[in-house]
Amino acid sequence: MEKNKNNYVHKIPSLMESYRRLQRLSGDEAPAFRASVKAATISAVFQGLAFAAIFPLMGVLLADNLNMNDVWFWVGIFFALSFGDWIFRWKAISFGHSESLPNVVHKLRIKLGAQLRKIPLQMLYKKRSGDTATIVAGNVDEVLTPLGSITELFVRSMVVPIVVILATFFISWPLAIARILIFPSAIPLYVWIRKAKGKFLRTLANAHASTSAEIVEYTQGLPVLRAANATGSKAKRLQISIKELMDLQVKTQFSSILPNFLLWSLIEGGIVIVLALGVYLILGEALGVAALAALLIMSVRLSESVAILTNITAAIDLMEAGSEKIENFFAIKPLEQKTPIEKPESFDIEFENLTFSYEEGEKPELQNINILIPQRSMTALVGPSGSGKTTLTRMIMRYADPQNGLISIGGVDVRSIDQDKLMKNISVVFQDVYLFDDTILSNIRMGKPEATDKEVEDAARAANCHEFIKRLPEGYQTRVGDIGGTLSGGERQRISIARAILKDAPIVMLDEPTAALDTESELAVQKAIDTLVQNRTVIVIAHRLSTIVGADQILVLEDGEIKQAGKHQELIAQDGRYKSMWEAQQQVKNWHMIEKEE
Amino acid sequence: MDQALKDSIVKKPGAWGVFAPVKGKIYFGIFLGALSSAFVIVTMVSFAWVIDILLHDRADIWLWVGLAFTFTILGLATKLAAFTISHLGAFKLEEVLRTGLSDHLAKVPLGFLVQKGSGSISKVIQDDVKTLHAFVADSTPFYGRSIAMPLITLILLIVIDWRMALAALGVLFISMIPMSYAMRDHKELSRRYTQEKENINNTVIEFVQAMPVIRTFDDGSSSFGRYQEALKGYRGLFIEWLEKAGVSTKFAMILLSPLATLLALFVIGALFYANGAIAFSTWLAILLIGAGLVESIMPLMWLNEFIRNANASAKRIQALLQEPILPITENPQEPKDASIEFENVTFSYGDRGQNALEDVSFIVPSGSVSALVGPSGAGKSTVAKLIPRFWDIDKGTIKIGGVDVRDMSSETLMNNVSFVFQDTFLFHDTLANNIKLGLDNTTQADIEEAAKAAQAHEFILQLPDGYETVAGDRGARLSGGQRQRITIARAILQKRPIVVLDEATAFADPENEAALIKALSNLMKDRTVIVIAHRLATIKDADEIVVFDHGKISEKGKHQQLVENKGVYAKLWSNYEQAQGWSLSNHIEEQSQQKAGV
Repeated sequence: MEKNKNNYVHKIPSLMESYRRLQRLSGDEAPAFRASVKAATISAVFQGLAFAAIFPLMGVLLADNLNMNDVWFWVGIFFALSFGDWIFRWKAISFGHSESLPNVVHKLRIKLGAQLRKIPLQMLYKKRSGDTATIVAGNVDEVLTPLGSITELFVRSMVVPIVVILATFFISWPLAIARILIFPSAIPLYVWIRKAKGKFLRTLANAHASTSAEIVEYTQGLPVLRAANATGSKAKRLQISIKELMDLQVKTQFSSILPNFLLWSLIEGGIVIVLALGVYLILGEALGVAALAALLIMSVRLSESVAILTNITAAIDLMEAGSEKIENFFAIKPLEQKTPIEKPESFDIEFENLTFSYEEGEKPELQNINILIPQRSMTALVGPSGSGKTTLTRMIMRYADPQNGLISIGGVDVRSIDQDKLMKNISVVFQDVYLFDDTILSNIRMGKPEATDKEVEDAARAANCHEFIKRLPEGYQTRVGDIGGTLSGGERQRISIARAILKDAPIVMLDEPTAALDTESELAVQKAIDTLVQNRTVIVIAHRLSTIVGADQILVLEDGEIKQAGKHQELIAQDGRYKSMWEAQQQVKNWHMIEKEE
Repeated sequence: MDQALKDSIVKKPGAWGVFAPVKGKIYFGIFLGALSSAFVIVTMVSFAWVIDILLHDRADIWLWVGLAFTFTILGLATKLAAFTISHLGAFKLEEVLRTGLSDHLAKVPLGFLVQKGSGSISKVIQDDVKTLHAFVADSTPFYGRSIAMPLITLILLIVIDWRMALAALGVLFISMIPMSYAMRDHKELSRRYTQEKENINNTVIEFVQAMPVIRTFDDGSSSFGRYQEALKGYRGLFIEWLEKAGVSTKFAMILLSPLATLLALFVIGALFYANGAIAFSTWLAILLIGAGLVESIMPLMWLNEFIRNANASAKRIQALLQEPILPITENPQEPKDASIEFENVTFSYGDRGQNALEDVSFIVPSGSVSALVGPSGAGKSTVAKLIPRFWDIDKGTIKIGGVDVRDMSSETLMNNVSFVFQDTFLFHDTLANNIKLGLDNTTQADIEEAAKAAQAHEFILQLPDGYETVAGDRGARLSGGQRQRITIARAILQKRPIVVLDEATAFADPENEAALIKALSNLMKDRTVIVIAHRLATIKDADEIVVFDHGKISEKGKHQQLVENKGVYAKLWSNYEQAQGWSLSNHIEEQSQQKAGV
């Protein structure tokens, strides 16, 4: 009975909105979609009229003098109207059974892909990548695949009863009114159900969420639990939560039995009400038996469509929720592109009074940042984790725009630079490397799509990876997915550096590129980086301060602010954060975990 | 979950096997669903009877209206009962499966959990169980109905008038022709469809996750191209399917609409009626129930789809339940001291063919410190994970205090060894509880003392709720080094004689590192220690350094001795020293910089 929690009664007000939304999502094929809905409506009207033709048909069958010509005439009419239904039904369901539907799905996904490339990256970080992928893959399926069939079914189950009720007015208005009244009187019942269930729904949702969280934590933490000999108690906690969820589900289920029964009785028992009223009218000679017989044939078929309606509401709910998510995704504003578009001539990077927070009103992630990074200089960002180093580099790449202040490259506001051009000028080596499930060659070539094989190889040589690539089963043509785990972290990192070398961008950013590597890989990666950074504007984030002693300027960040700036020698002479970090690290060098000298 | 229950669940592969624990409820639900449709049909027949009475002016009319009403209510009541029972079964099934799975997971080798990944395991406990829940709750009563409806209808039709039954059957058979034509390649096409969908999913996930890399390195040609390729593949297959099945499906849908059956029944009925070969009310009864024959075909098709999904989920659940548990000894023994001995240990990760460890032998005497070093993939971490029996070895023995780890109870084993791993996992619980995990009789003073030794006390006190701060909550974002110190405090509190440290200092920022090393050295006091570290300076003073290369021990000894040996260790050491000395510089080609001018 899960389905009943979103009964169609409450759908009606938002119907037009859903229809408009589906049209928007249909894009180019919207006319075809509209035509299909129109055809479905016409077809449903024909079906309703065909049902209505049963009135006169039954009339002539039960007439005092049976005239077979009249019978065949009305059977003919019934056939003609049915035929009309079939023709338009064919048209209506063609939308979901022709190229239209695959095209809608395809074009929508292409549009979503394009939007993915346009939205501020920061927005992407805010969502879990799984959620975004669900929008593009899962939700599109949920919304669009049933588009043809569900809308047809939905329109039909709404329109046919209306036509039949209208026709009934001509036969017997009391019966028509009785039919009509059944629906509105279902509404207060429905509201009651919502209320009765609503109480539980929230607690039920919470119980689901907490069981979910317990399950995830349990599976993630099992190794730790086992090691701590604590499996029992945590497992108990999980199982209590599972048990509680069940009890709550049972309670909710029982609480909904009575209201559901009443609602169903009203909707499906409606036929009996029609029957009783009909019999009453016939006994009072206000109605013919034929009309009641006809009405019964129709009503039985209509209750079938009501049953379908309750079944498809679940699918409609999914469509609604999915299309809302898709539209919300499209609603994310791409970063503003200022005009006229300008092109930086040099590559000095300047931050002026920059303040940035991820969410409006939250504590700023960066505050009052004023920096000048001269062309071809090396700037190091240091500071505790969470101090804003990575955010600062992301601002240059426009993962998001600051609330205050501005960033310029070569004197040009980054917002005035074409986004693709901006990215062309920057290479980044991240701590976690992402290689695509494609050949090594294409993975490197991404940096410069027009590069020749020779250029790719040169870049690979410069990044210290030509050797090991040659040893792979198919050399540069080896697919990364095929060898998956066999590439070490250092090898993957060197491939990503080859990509950056090939790209040959004037600005290079390094975000802890060796932090996750073992010593041997570290050395090879370091050599590759040495090649990459030659003659470029370099911005580096490093934990190990000895790496960056040669930097032209070192910026010490803490809590989103720049606390100190200068060269190593200057900073070490000051009593400040940098000095204490440096000393701590020097100390560690001479420290050993093992303190039991013999 | 007891063994008998587990056996019954895995006995028969697929959904009906997994349903074993709630078989009774499910069958009852199906039965009630069938019963409900019987009542619905009887109700319709009673309608015809009422009309018959009206036509013949008989007196018992209200009795039959009352009976029709009663049948309707019985139909609804049984339907409601069917859904209630099926929901209760679904709730119970959910509880049984989740409890059983979490129980079972606590007994399988830890290595299985690590290899399989917590994500995919929790997906089974969460989503697959949910799929089965949904199937049992919503589809089983429907199942009964979909089978009973056409069967009862057919039998009744034959009983009432076999000639008309043939007419209704005729329509059904005719509609089966295009239907079976539409379904002819269904299996193959649906397999390919699933595959294409999977492909889209993977590409989308790649596209989303790699977005930062795509933005910096790709002008759109390569990754977007691959995305488009996947979309095209899907569209192509979708269109192919619709082309193959579209027209015949549309024909089938039209023939399966009630109008077709009604038309056939009108025409045939009129022929008989003209000759007086059929009574009006008999004909009416057939008109009322006849369309039920074709109307239950479509829901049957949907059901098939649901069953397929349920089967896939059920098989994953069964596979997880069938994962062999770690063998537990019958006669557990207690270790005699805190020594560790590897004796000719050979081990391979089942699926990778190659041995991860080959003939490895070494002894760590009670109270001494051994360091395991070597290039990544050499087998160090495998050694660390074999001690707590993440996996059982293929050859040789691993002894603790002279006792084979397989001859110890899991509690004894875990009570002798503490582990600190590279990835720290904290539970969504207070820090105090995270530290005392598994040790229920611990005082706050003990916890604080351990935290002090782990250099964690101070930062914990600075948190908003001190020791009562819940890990993972807002405001308690702990850095990697801080989380690591919490896990060290846990290990200190455990006071176990053996400590295994696997890259415990990997993710520490500079200031944290000093504290971390101090914490570790406190932890190591007076214990037998196995330590894995790639910062070789930290393990220089170990009592013994065991050097691994390609799964074998290549040398053993003290630092000085190994450096003089000029073997693998000497090379690692020199790499390490070089890497430590690395300092970034982008000013190698001074001349070209001047040429470019700023």
